[in-house]
Amino acid sequence: MSHNRLIGGLLLATVALPAPVMAETFSLWVRADGSNFMPQIVEAFNAQSEHSAELQIVPTAELVQKYAIASAGGSAPDALSLDLIYTPAFGAAGQLRDLTEFAQDLDYFDSLSPAHLSVGTVEDRIYGLPFSADSSVLIWNKDLYREAGLDPDVAPTTWAEIREHAEAIDALGEETYGFYFSGACGGCNIFTFMPMVWASGGELFSSDGSEARFDSPQMREGVEFYRAMVEDGLVPAGSQTDGGINFFAAFANGNIGITPSGAFAIGALNTQYPDLDYGVSYLPGKDGAWSSFAGGDNFVVSAATDDDKMPAIEAFIEFAYSLEGQRLLAAGGALPVRSDIAEEALEGLDPRYILAADAMTNGRTPFSPVFNDLINSANGPWITTLNRAFYGTADEVGETLAQGEAEMQSIIDDAN
Amino acid sequence: MIGLLYVAPALALVAVFFAIPLGMTIWMSLHDWPLMGQKRWVGFANYERMWGDSGFWGALSFTGTYTVAVTIGLLGLGMILALMVERPGRATAFYRTAYFLPVVIGFASASLLWAWLSNVDSGLFSPLMQNLGLTERRVNINADYGLAFWSVNVMVVWKMVGFFMVILMSGLQSIPRDYLEAARIDGAGALQRFRFITMPLVRRPFALALILCVSGSMLAFDQFYIILNGGPQNSTITAVYWIFNESFVSFRLGYGAALSVVLLGILLVLSAIQLRLLRDREDGS
Amino acid sequence: MRPYRILYHVTALLVAFLFLAPIAIVVLASFRTPAESGQPPLPPWPIEGASIDSYVRLDGFGASLLQHTGNSLYVALGTTILTVLVSVLAGYGFSRFRFPLKPMIFVLILATIMVPFQSILTPLFLLLASLGLQNTLTGLVLIYTTLQLPFSVFMMRNAFDAVPKEIEEAARIDGVRDLRMLVYVMGPLVLPGIVTVGLFAFLNAWNEFLAALVLLTDQSKYTLPVLMTSVRSGRFGSVDWGAVQAGVTVMMIPCLILFLILQRHYIRGLTAGAVK
Repeated sequence: MSHNRLIGGLLLATVALPAPVMAETFSLWVRADGSNFMPQIVEAFNAQSEHSAELQIVPTAELVQKYAIASAGGSAPDALSLDLIYTPAFGAAGQLRDLTEFAQDLDYFDSLSPAHLSVGTVEDRIYGLPFSADSSVLIWNKDLYREAGLDPDVAPTTWAEIREHAEAIDALGEETYGFYFSGACGGCNIFTFMPMVWASGGELFSSDGSEARFDSPQMREGVEFYRAMVEDGLVPAGSQTDGGINFFAAFANGNIGITPSGAFAIGALNTQYPDLDYGVSYLPGKDGAWSSFAGGDNFVVSAATDDDKMPAIEAFIEFAYSLEGQRLLAAGGALPVRSDIAEEALEGLDPRYILAADAMTNGRTPFSPVFNDLINSANGPWITTLNRAFYGTADEVGETLAQGEAEMQSIIDDAN
Repeated sequence: MIGLLYVAPALALVAVFFAIPLGMTIWMSLHDWPLMGQKRWVGFANYERMWGDSGFWGALSFTGTYTVAVTIGLLGLGMILALMVERPGRATAFYRTAYFLPVVIGFASASLLWAWLSNVDSGLFSPLMQNLGLTERRVNINADYGLAFWSVNVMVVWKMVGFFMVILMSGLQSIPRDYLEAARIDGAGALQRFRFITMPLVRRPFALALILCVSGSMLAFDQFYIILNGGPQNSTITAVYWIFNESFVSFRLGYGAALSVVLLGILLVLSAIQLRLLRDREDGS
Repeated sequence: MRPYRILYHVTALLVAFLFLAPIAIVVLASFRTPAESGQPPLPPWPIEGASIDSYVRLDGFGASLLQHTGNSLYVALGTTILTVLVSVLAGYGFSRFRFPLKPMIFVLILATIMVPFQSILTPLFLLLASLGLQNTLTGLVLIYTTLQLPFSVFMMRNAFDAVPKEIEEAARIDGVRDLRMLVYVMGPLVLPGIVTVGLFAFLNAWNEFLAALVLLTDQSKYTLPVLMTSVRSGRFGSVDWGAVQAGVTVMMIPCLILFLILQRHYIRGLTAGAVK
């Protein structure tokens, strides 16, 4: 049966390709994390444009590998929405098409997310355009706050307050926990733990990215903050081996008081868990202040993509940047990437998005060409070290971090 | 020469989809070969770099530990089960089927199943132990090296022991009944009969089982990847897992290829040693 | 019955229970309602009435469950047919003919079992691309068949070795030759071996996931195990254990049924191969 369909597809392809019309179809990939908004945008685009996009959703963890392999075999997609942190590596490897001229001709170029553009630019050429944004925020369960006698409308603004609230909620019962984080997930922790260290004055890399600064006083304090909560039983046992599969679900199940999370959670909670009453706030530093991780996707075009397809791709980008496109994006749980119309795009949506969009403006995106090796890999030094420290004893924290820093440094040095 | 014609399709497949890629692997191991971007000839630099790669040697030693543990489990238990089910009969046929059934489930399915069962929140083992009063709280099995290691070993034994049971059973069934009967009449005890009659006669299937078991275990990947992600803290990364990481996470295909070549060498040596056990049977052909 | 027999049966039954329990648990658990599916399987069966919601949610991943099952079937059946054809020919050739380099070629084919095929995956892909077979199910069939060959050729050669030469002699006197000999005379005699080889090929191809994961880039071509990796890794930091249970069940059931139907041939074939 699938064979017949295959032949059918081939026939269609041969019929469709040589037709000398303006309408072009281009292939587009998005990681599974984008499956809440991308299909809607593509559908709307296809409905109103002479061109059309053919969407494929790829498992998040496999996107880079699949793309590289498809590219080596000459079957790379024409365009893809790529986790922004990979844009430098892809661009430097000559895989991407230079979009500088197109980008600079956009009227609203100056209001496109600067965090996205900074990683999308390699040696002054733009290879990646902001597509979707996601900032990290703190979320708390208002029902549990009420039960614990806490004010459900006041978010913790320091680490001491987080700890205090978490203890009060944890005391509610055996199955209720104060705090949750995915302790074996590198991506989750760079997204949510690191901003709390940034807000306290710590750094992960030197400004040019050539030195690891893992073992800093601020980092030690941050790790100790988490570690003590783990030791005192405020965090469920499952967190120790959670490589990200419970990053969202743990809180959504309703028995977690506080968790650092992302703007994506707002959309997901509203649609899948409409009964959960929760608040959204900034990720605080030790004694106040706040920070956020500016994440999301860049839109990139494969270097091998046919010139003929460019009008279709450009039309798609412009559609995504239109108010309608930005609204669809926001409705699907991502943040707009055009600051000039962000407010308009978010109009009528959950007001908690506004805070997340605001967090984006103060968001940071750490940059390293070996980001995957260092941070995202389940076996990289970042998460291995943190995991050891979070679930170890207090006197080992310093030594563990120093070791982790050395490992990171050797990977960075290796790459240079 | 007509024999060559019969063998040709197999030979062609092996040449195209095995020998050529293998040669390419060796070729790649002499390059700095990123997944994207330009490759560069580096001679033996990848092999030199390996000496200092404590991660790889750690992974290799873990693989060795796992291979020893799981081989003892599989062949030991396989032999016990084989002795239990070798007789004909309705009941034994049922036991045989039951023990063998997990073999036909794929490693990916079995690993997925185990990933669920060993999950601390939604799985079976931790809540069950807690409900039975064996542990006070829910213990996160996958967070502790020892527990995680044994959990995976149990999974592999559950899934694979039936296979080795059948191979060993075939050896047992080939032993003529009168041998054992005669020995019994001559006053040989059960242990003696097992040691002096059964063991030597099942040596051949045992050697086959051993080779399959060792080379399979040395290449273990799925279960540690799917169930444990190499955790806790990278302590369950196998050699193939390390190669996979180097090739498809860090995208150092050249270095990954060099590691593969070395792993291949180790496997060949191991198999050569084991093949000596099988040697006598090759004489006749 | 003597106490020894009773003890034997009690032990054997207990062990059988342990072996069957995980399979039964996951099948039962897959019919729980969405609310229950994230809970520990204590008990594993649905409490609030059975539901196929887990399967419906599984269907929502990727193209459609039917399509992915079709892909898996295509790959598994293709591999089975090709493996049987190739290994029967090779097994016959190795068993009954003399030709130059025979031992070397035999060892070469067997040696493929010792190479971690993960390590030749990238070259394999480049090769498939140059043959125009990248991202196709047919490409997977060819690779899976190659991976099956060491076991299958070894099995088939042993199966042919087990057939007494006299039978062939007799047929030859009757004027039967070459392929006709293979199909009509030898074929029925090595049938258990063929079933074993075919079944192993089917099961391994049905269950294989790493090569499929890396080599298939088009979602509509994903086989079930590849689909399952995206179910397992979840979306947005949540994993749908109900869909995992349903997926494991869907992947398991054909294997179990096939084995239960063919098990006599299968075990006989396997043991014949092992002893000789």
